[in-house]
Amino acid sequence: MTKYVIKRILLMFLTLFVIMTMCFVLIKLLPLPAVREMGRDVNLIMAKREQMGYNKPIMVQYFLFWKSIVTAWDWGVGEQMYEGLSVWNVLINKLPYTVLVNLYSILIAIPLGLMLGIYAALKKNRWQDHLISTLVVVFISVPSYVYAFLVQYLFCFRLGWFPLTLESLDNASLFSAKMFRSMFPAIMSLGFGVVAGLTRYTRAELSEVLTGDYMLLARTKGLTKAQAISRHALRNAMVVILPMIIGEFIGILGGSLIIENIFAIPGIGNLYISSINVRDYNFFMALTVFYTFIGLASGIIIDISYGFIDPRIRMGSKK
Amino acid sequence: MRKVVSIILALTMALSCVSALAETAAFTPADSYDVGERAFNAGEVVLTPAGEGGGTINTVRYAGEEGKDYTDEKVYTLVDTLGGTNGMDWNPHTWETNDDNTVLSMMTIGFYGFYLNENKDGYAILPEMAADYPVDVTSEYVGQFGVAEGETAKAWRIALNPDACWENGEKITADDYIYSMQQQLNPKMLNRRADSYYAGDMVLVNAKNYLYAGKTTYDLITEAPADLLAAGEKVYLDMDFWGCVGALDAEGNAAEKYISINDDTMYRDTSVKDETADEAWVSAKYLYDNYLAAGAPYEAYASQYLYTASIAEGATWDEVGLKKIDDYTIDLILERPVQEATFYMPYNLSGTWLVYKPLYEACKTFYDADGKAVDNEEAAATVSTDYCTTVEKSVSYGPYKISYFEMDKQIKFDRNENWYGYHDGKHLGMYQTDIYQINIIKEQATELMAFLAGEIDSVGLTAADMATYASSQYIKYTPQSYTTKVSFNTDYEKLLSRGTGSQILVVDEFRKAFALALDRAEFAASYTAAGAAGLGLLNYMYVYNPFTGETYRDSDYAKAGLVELYGLTWGEGGDYATLDEAYDAMTGYDMDAAKELMKVAYDKAVAAQIYDGTSPIEIEFRVYSNDTTYVQMFTYFDTQLQKACEGSGFEGKVSLKMTVDPDYYETNYSGGADVIFTTWGGSAMAPFGVMNQCYTDAYDGSGNQMEYGFNTEEIALTIVVNGEEITASLHDWSDWVGSTDVPALDEKLGVMGDYSYETRCGFLAAIEKCFLSYYTTTPMYYRQSASLISQKINYATDRYDNIVGFGGMEFTTYNYDDAAWAEYVASGELKY
Repeated sequence: MTKYVIKRILLMFLTLFVIMTMCFVLIKLLPLPAVREMGRDVNLIMAKREQMGYNKPIMVQYFLFWKSIVTAWDWGVGEQMYEGLSVWNVLINKLPYTVLVNLYSILIAIPLGLMLGIYAALKKNRWQDHLISTLVVVFISVPSYVYAFLVQYLFCFRLGWFPLTLESLDNASLFSAKMFRSMFPAIMSLGFGVVAGLTRYTRAELSEVLTGDYMLLARTKGLTKAQAISRHALRNAMVVILPMIIGEFIGILGGSLIIENIFAIPGIGNLYISSINVRDYNFFMALTVFYTFIGLASGIIIDISYGFIDPRIRMGSKK
Repeated sequence: MRKVVSIILALTMALSCVSALAETAAFTPADSYDVGERAFNAGEVVLTPAGEGGGTINTVRYAGEEGKDYTDEKVYTLVDTLGGTNGMDWNPHTWETNDDNTVLSMMTIGFYGFYLNENKDGYAILPEMAADYPVDVTSEYVGQFGVAEGETAKAWRIALNPDACWENGEKITADDYIYSMQQQLNPKMLNRRADSYYAGDMVLVNAKNYLYAGKTTYDLITEAPADLLAAGEKVYLDMDFWGCVGALDAEGNAAEKYISINDDTMYRDTSVKDETADEAWVSAKYLYDNYLAAGAPYEAYASQYLYTASIAEGATWDEVGLKKIDDYTIDLILERPVQEATFYMPYNLSGTWLVYKPLYEACKTFYDADGKAVDNEEAAATVSTDYCTTVEKSVSYGPYKISYFEMDKQIKFDRNENWYGYHDGKHLGMYQTDIYQINIIKEQATELMAFLAGEIDSVGLTAADMATYASSQYIKYTPQSYTTKVSFNTDYEKLLSRGTGSQILVVDEFRKAFALALDRAEFAASYTAAGAAGLGLLNYMYVYNPFTGETYRDSDYAKAGLVELYGLTWGEGGDYATLDEAYDAMTGYDMDAAKELMKVAYDKAVAAQIYDGTSPIEIEFRVYSNDTTYVQMFTYFDTQLQKACEGSGFEGKVSLKMTVDPDYYETNYSGGADVIFTTWGGSAMAPFGVMNQCYTDAYDGSGNQMEYGFNTEEIALTIVVNGEEITASLHDWSDWVGSTDVPALDEKLGVMGDYSYETRCGFLAAIEKCFLSYYTTTPMYYRQSASLISQKINYATDRYDNIVGFGGMEFTTYNYDDAAWAEYVASGELKY
């Protein structure tokens, strides 16, 4: 197992390197944003770009990019966005909001989704199941920003239960109840889709497992229905559900551009797209590495998690 | 039976193929299109000389709201919102956006302040960081800094305000100004705003040379490369054109970014795998000759990849035109004299370049040429700074100081108690606001709800909001200096190469018919929040006389230009009794005339063999996005075009196709678009430079002109000046009116500054009319935004002024303090 994990980690870094190299070369092959500013000295921008090394051969730039990271953990400064600010500092500043809002949303959504899924599976083909399934279809089909507007209008504006936008740190600390309350509309908006997805998966998996022969055997052995479900059915169903939950955790780091804009959350939701649109190389590369690393690392975690959920699954075993 | 069916099918297919080939072969559009003689007579301009010194400025400001206590103990907070796109930076040397400037304007103040005047109908100019108005000391510099005997208005002495200090109480002296300018022009920093004192109207002697200090600078060509070469200029190719920056030659030397087009050093293009293949080795000369030279396949891109080079002479700091005279006096020595200096000197000095030395130095980071951090500036090749990006890294010297900053979320300002203005007795009746708070909210719907809930004090409205709030007593309209127009590509070869039939855009009558089919009033009312129907390139914002505030659009010359363009007459025997009546009646919309012109256009297109008369024509309309407003606008254009085509040979054959292209401006610059929406405008206080900066600077994509293919150098514009006909190209006239030297016109007319403002308007109106008469662009509406302001506050005036707006925050007064406002909002009575 250890050997397998080490091998996967080494492979992960190799993959990361290949992806970084490809992305660096590809973004550098794109022409720089045109400089047209009326009454301004265009040469100044060109000279700045020259000074920043943008006119050096791409491979030289790539080498210098790596050198800065390895020797000083310096990811460069923004040129087209957050001009002059350290890319790393901007990311570190903005990431907690995104992670926190999404983390809360998943922490609330997971038990809800599981409970509803289990309930629907147990009440399969009865009105409760139909009602839940119908709601699931609605919540999966409608994009989260639609809920966001509805939630904001109804709960924040009309009823006044929550603030319209996220509190600033001047008014509330990041982990305070006041901040949580101001995050709640965004948490709800993000959570509806996750709850619906989990409910659907859990119901489907559990429904299948519940009809298995071993469940009949478990009941015949004298286990109560609850014991049979919790000890056998749920455990088997989780082999499929858990990776989905981990996948949701990965998604949280990506943030949600529209939700963040609606609730004025200063997260990283729009950074990646903006960095591509305005062609800010340093932001683009830092974010590429960040997302790629998270994606690759979570792939390993998901694979390893199978072994914990179901001991029959062995990683890296040749037997 | 099967055989029979097979044979019939085969014959049918063969016949179809033959018929298709026959159809294709039947019509080949002409290789070129002759637009005919391009000569335009714009009418008469009467020359009157300029007055001495330009005029006098108003120095008496509005005294504030009578009976209002600006110093009570209550707390008044003004809450605004900003979009905060991709970070903010309020460093005076590097700021970029309006949002940045909003922050900067709170914590700094200029040498001179522009305030609402006593009658609330214009502005007054008062010294702030300066102790008095500038004094012309040119005579003291004769023989130095390029100042010649007899010259005036080139060197100016500014007495500094001795009460000015930083927020920590330290005095601001001449040394601070000298240090700050040295940093602004620091060659290792290459600050984005370094050009403020050499690229604008106020050019400090040697500022640019000090910044570039012997560096080579490259500028995109503005003339045909062959002409440049013939004139002995060196032309350089940007090797990015072929992706060959850094490619190696046979000796292992890397290709520079810019290489002379006469340089035949071959570089290995690694994108060609086979080293022996054609084009595995390329040189700048080869690339130019084969791809960018006249007649080569990518000739159109020449203006984007070819450069001329120049080397900055280099100057020491002592040679820069900024001098300390004593602790509270500085001199500015300029390369060009300032005209109408009583207004333009304070106008150009409505800001400062000050930075606080101890903090500025602490915020610097040093790098060598490879980007490796080094310890000090001497060893560094580049210096970067994060000055003015957080509370700790900001120092104020204006009325407010930053008390809180959270990236992309919120900025708060408190009063800067060390600001001289709170103690000098000269600022009574100003600044009732105690706390100024900016919330970053990107979503307009959220902003509107926050406003309606009493959380913010103003909100911009969209077209959709107008149905609800257009009649609100709290609505304010803010005009902008931009005109939105439709621009047409008229480059025949480019259009022909599309194969969609859009080459009919080269027919003048087609474009004019399209223009006449557009009802600007209906368009502006239906698809913009507050835009006003507009027929001119310059809107009502442009002030031609800064001393009186008179606007170009309201001048007789400007009105007459548009009225004549749209065929209306006035006076005896005319359609209208007076010019004003004719101007007011003008709409630019005449569907009947459009239909008639469309028939002419059809006949002309067929006769010129650029159109076969029967094929469908698809004109591509590029827009920024496919949001609802753009779709509605596009649908309007398509509908009106179809209507205009009714009854002509084009009926049922012409259609518009909407293409979403976020880079549509760039696409247009390379001639890649048929039609696009364009919005341009310049400084509202400098109308005479707008034409050559925005509309006539280069037709081939190398300038700002959006009408690709419309060569203003080929338009012969005649203006009758005091009875004498003077003809020059539209491009030259435009340059001359914009105060750029045009020897032929300088010889006959001198310079624009020699003439009265009215005369200058006459010339400007002539070139505007000439440009519009070719219908390569159709103005649609003048930009104007609508917003609601909170019941909590009052602006000083309802009349918007170009310079001081509605009076600004200085004169904003309050109906409620914070506590009373919270109570009022909680009562649920807040309605707009």
